[in-house]
Amino acid sequence: MIEKLKKTRFTPRLALRLVIAIALLVYLTWRVVQVTASEAVFGPDTWLRFLISGLVIGGMYALIAIGYTLVYGILFMINFAHGEVMMLGTFAGYFMLEAFSTIPGPGNQEVNFLNAQPIIALILTFIVGAGVAALVGYLLEKIAYRPLRGAPRLIPLISAIGASIFLQNAAQLLFGPQRRQYSNPDLLWRGTGWMIPVGDKTVMLTYTGVFSFVLSILLMIGLFVLVKKTKLGKSMRAVAENKQAAALMGIDVDSVISKTFLISGALAGAAGVMWGIHNGLFNHYVGFIPGIKAFTAAVLGGIGNIPGAMLGGMVLGLMESLGPALLGLDFQIKDVIAFTILILVLIFRPSGLLGEALTEEKI
Amino acid sequence: MTRTAIHIQNVTKRFGGLTAVDEVNLDISEHSISSIIGPNGAGKTTLFNCVTGFYAPEEGEIQFFDKPVQGLPTHKICDMGIARTYQNIRLFKEMTAVENILVGQHTRMHSMWVESVLHNPRYLKEESTAIAKAFELLEFVGLLDLADTPAFNLPYGAQRRLELARALASDPLVLMLDEPTAGMNPQETAEMMAFIKELRDSKNITIILIEHDMRVVMGVSEKIAVLDYGRKIAEGDPTEIQSNQRVIEAYLGPSMDGIINRKKRKKPDYA
Amino acid sequence: MNESLKRGLRLGLIFGIVFIFFMLIGFTNVAATMIGDILGNVDQASVNPQLPVLNLITFTGLMGFFTGIAAYKKDANPSWVQVLIVGLIAGLAAALLVVGFILLIGSLNAQGVDFRTYLPNLGANEIQYLIFYTTPLAAAQRYILFIILFSIIGSLIVKLFSPGSPVNIALNSLKKNTINKLDVETLKSALKNRFVLIGLLVVVAVLMYFLPFVWGSYWNYIMGTVAIYILLGLGLNIIVGYSGQLVLGYVAFFAIGAYTFALLTAPQPHAIEMNLWLAMLIAVLVSTIAGLLIGLPILNLRGDYLAIVTLGFGEIVRILIRSDLLTALTNGPKGVTNVGQPFWRGQLFTDTNYMHLLMLLVLAGLFVAKRLKDSRTGRAWISIREDQTVAQATGVNTFRYKILALLLGAAFAGLAGALFASRNQFTGPEDFTLMVSVNVLCVVIVGGMGSLPGVVLGAFVLKGLPELLRELSDYRLFAFGALLVVMMIVRPNGLWPVSRPKFIKAPPEDCQDEPVEVKV
Repeated sequence: MIEKLKKTRFTPRLALRLVIAIALLVYLTWRVVQVTASEAVFGPDTWLRFLISGLVIGGMYALIAIGYTLVYGILFMINFAHGEVMMLGTFAGYFMLEAFSTIPGPGNQEVNFLNAQPIIALILTFIVGAGVAALVGYLLEKIAYRPLRGAPRLIPLISAIGASIFLQNAAQLLFGPQRRQYSNPDLLWRGTGWMIPVGDKTVMLTYTGVFSFVLSILLMIGLFVLVKKTKLGKSMRAVAENKQAAALMGIDVDSVISKTFLISGALAGAAGVMWGIHNGLFNHYVGFIPGIKAFTAAVLGGIGNIPGAMLGGMVLGLMESLGPALLGLDFQIKDVIAFTILILVLIFRPSGLLGEALTEEKI
Repeated sequence: MTRTAIHIQNVTKRFGGLTAVDEVNLDISEHSISSIIGPNGAGKTTLFNCVTGFYAPEEGEIQFFDKPVQGLPTHKICDMGIARTYQNIRLFKEMTAVENILVGQHTRMHSMWVESVLHNPRYLKEESTAIAKAFELLEFVGLLDLADTPAFNLPYGAQRRLELARALASDPLVLMLDEPTAGMNPQETAEMMAFIKELRDSKNITIILIEHDMRVVMGVSEKIAVLDYGRKIAEGDPTEIQSNQRVIEAYLGPSMDGIINRKKRKKPDYA
Repeated sequence: MNESLKRGLRLGLIFGIVFIFFMLIGFTNVAATMIGDILGNVDQASVNPQLPVLNLITFTGLMGFFTGIAAYKKDANPSWVQVLIVGLIAGLAAALLVVGFILLIGSLNAQGVDFRTYLPNLGANEIQYLIFYTTPLAAAQRYILFIILFSIIGSLIVKLFSPGSPVNIALNSLKKNTINKLDVETLKSALKNRFVLIGLLVVVAVLMYFLPFVWGSYWNYIMGTVAIYILLGLGLNIIVGYSGQLVLGYVAFFAIGAYTFALLTAPQPHAIEMNLWLAMLIAVLVSTIAGLLIGLPILNLRGDYLAIVTLGFGEIVRILIRSDLLTALTNGPKGVTNVGQPFWRGQLFTDTNYMHLLMLLVLAGLFVAKRLKDSRTGRAWISIREDQTVAQATGVNTFRYKILALLLGAAFAGLAGALFASRNQFTGPEDFTLMVSVNVLCVVIVGGMGSLPGVVLGAFVLKGLPELLRELSDYRLFAFGALLVVMMIVRPNGLWPVSRPKFIKAPPEDCQDEPVEVKV
């Protein structure tokens, strides 16, 4: 480490970067200190609330981020349309829950199915939501990306942008632009939860929040096991590392790529359903901003690195939730924070938190 | 008095755990034709890349006519007078042959973008001189009738020649050729050998080759350096190298004695 | 034959799904209305309900027709019977899907199921229309009939026009005798003639002067927007098309130019109200400086990263403009009204004046872009785009040239922004969404990266065409997205691909040392 430091050449550019980085750090620390020490506008209960919401949304970001990172690791392209995959999962989940809430429950005619058998209903909803999203991801790859596999980088990127616009507007045309609201089962009604006393106030730990967070963690664990322990996971890692070699070893590269898209889509779909359950309102735009933020999370953690995506998602969720308050800024600026983090990471540490330094180009 | 064109001193280049170039020392004299050879993966192209500035070596120095160049940006190094061709031909595919050569001349031209818009006399003169020179070079490498063909449409041999012409376009003092005869049949190879000699004789360039074809290496080189696992294991003129035991072993594998000896020696370091 | 059958089947299924999709998004209605326009029966449609049905059936027939055309595979060179069968299969596949769908929704609708909560385009009325105001079963028969029939016709017609058939042979000889007789060479050399060129230029100039007066303010507005997008396209073309940097936040520069101009010339919020031409110049300068500030830190980023980061910048600019934080500076979400307009001969600019000004600026922009393209600078940019690492090793200072491209691109956007704000007399943060960046990117890419006629064509197609197809405005973005994907797969070089210059060999200045012609 010291050796490396001694070797670094101090170009003006490096000096400039250091100056900017230090200046930023100083400014940020100053603001944080200022806010926490002096004003004390937010009591500990509010901070806890921020923390909780940060974790919840972090979990969703993490799931979507994993999707980006999986695709990037295997195809070296950013799946711009991934946010829309999530959006379609949200829609699918919505339709399922709507359907369940209108069908009468078994036996008891008074209660609808959703409330009579909430667990089954939810399981089915998630399966369908994730399934639809997985299918969309699969078709996306087959139609918009596969024909462009050998092309220079710009071309698949444009195709991805086109696919993103297409899906967004297809959803709008099919389902209408109006915002819809998820029908949660009574058990999991939005805004209900455990009340935790903090000092003399109370903070609500919403059922939907806990549900989402726990499910996110479970899915992440599941994915981790899939990638590390199963044959498919091994194939995916092999293809990500070196397509040709993998093919020569007998791995069906196309099939592995398709399956990767299926998995990444499924995760995004699950996140989409969670989003609907937790946040309620949505329309065809719901995937756009979370998509970009999840990408930020993936880059933050180190693109191509799965634990990185998980970590990045959590960190981003927390930063987004706690950030504006910590810095004494307006909540409108929330989105700007995500973008700014992205830009800063890409400039100062493009390999992300857990990623390896991008290897120098082979001449 | 012949100066040292390229002075490579103790250069080491690592990629993570892999040491691709390991404390290599080499001096290339002005106006000479030298070759760097060695088995695949020996570090030859990496060494080239260090000299031309693609990589900054972890240790060591590289000097170009006594001026240090290690770590300088590649365009500065090109400006100083080192040009190269590439193992797997890297032309500007969408540009025509003439345009590729014009880009090669970029560093010897000076017009700014404002002049491009205004078409002032200096700009026009510079452009026409450059175009004329490009055509001369095309003629020199025998591609005159393919002048306006986009590079991706050129046949393989023509592409190699174009890359050569592009490298020559900047009037380099040192020309570094990475496997110039790869994919050529014996006749083309012989022509290339004659061409290399002619280049040195007529333009007084220093030429450094990476080559696998031993006929070429022995036929044109005045000095040969042999790399294996990143280390220089031999240096000398063709006759010396041909009879050098270590070189033979590096390419063909050890003899029985060699195997026994190697079991006793420590194996060379690689990841 | 098996291959053709499979292809026919597959395409039939695809078209069937597409047809159902069209029904789900209400496109069938719109298309039928357009057909009604063409057939001239729209006015009577309200009186005679069978007429819309006729239009819909025509549309159905068209879909079948296209299915048949697509199913035909030229190189297999099938016989007439084979073609018939393939058309039949394709039509059958499509028809079955459509019919299945129709029967499903028709019968459910008859039972009172309301789809509108999920699918707003399938209200009871719409469904009635889709089943031709009869029963689902009767409608199904008609669908089957028309789709299969026209599919077969479609396939047969393609066969009719394909090489080897009598029609094709006749057309070819016709071409040989007439078109090829037109001596293309003389035409080309005529164009190179000085006088002809000048004559053409005069004609064009006259047209350009008079057209804005003639075609009315509506078209002035549309063409003005096209012109602004041409300017934007030229700027982005330098960044993306020449130097190959994928910038997705181009709208940021557009916004900065527009807002600088607006804030300098409007009475509120700052009441500076400076000379308009000066304000325009300053807008361009500020935009360029923004290009420098944004460009410096991000220049080393690789393609995809650069895209996302610039996208982020674009969004940041928009969010900041409308934020409470900067409302004092920018007037926040309300935007800036009464943006300054220039004077011409004592009067405020009319839309004709604006049109003329924009035309002049577009011409100037094209001139500059062309000169840059075929110069040392242009070649440097393209070498960077083709292979940045090697370009730098060949002596091109990539950093300098990439920044230069960004600065010039930002300047173009700044100018366009100022004009945009001035012409609209108003500007607000919602004028500068991500879609604008995407639009300009499409103009460049769909037109042809690096190609100047491509940019002009792209602007006309992407901004002018939608105006002509007003009824389809709901589907515009949707078609956009599809167009992008299709273009990338089918014709990534764009509608009017860039062409590299051909050089005339200049005679060697002096033959000092005769290079030995060694054949290598």
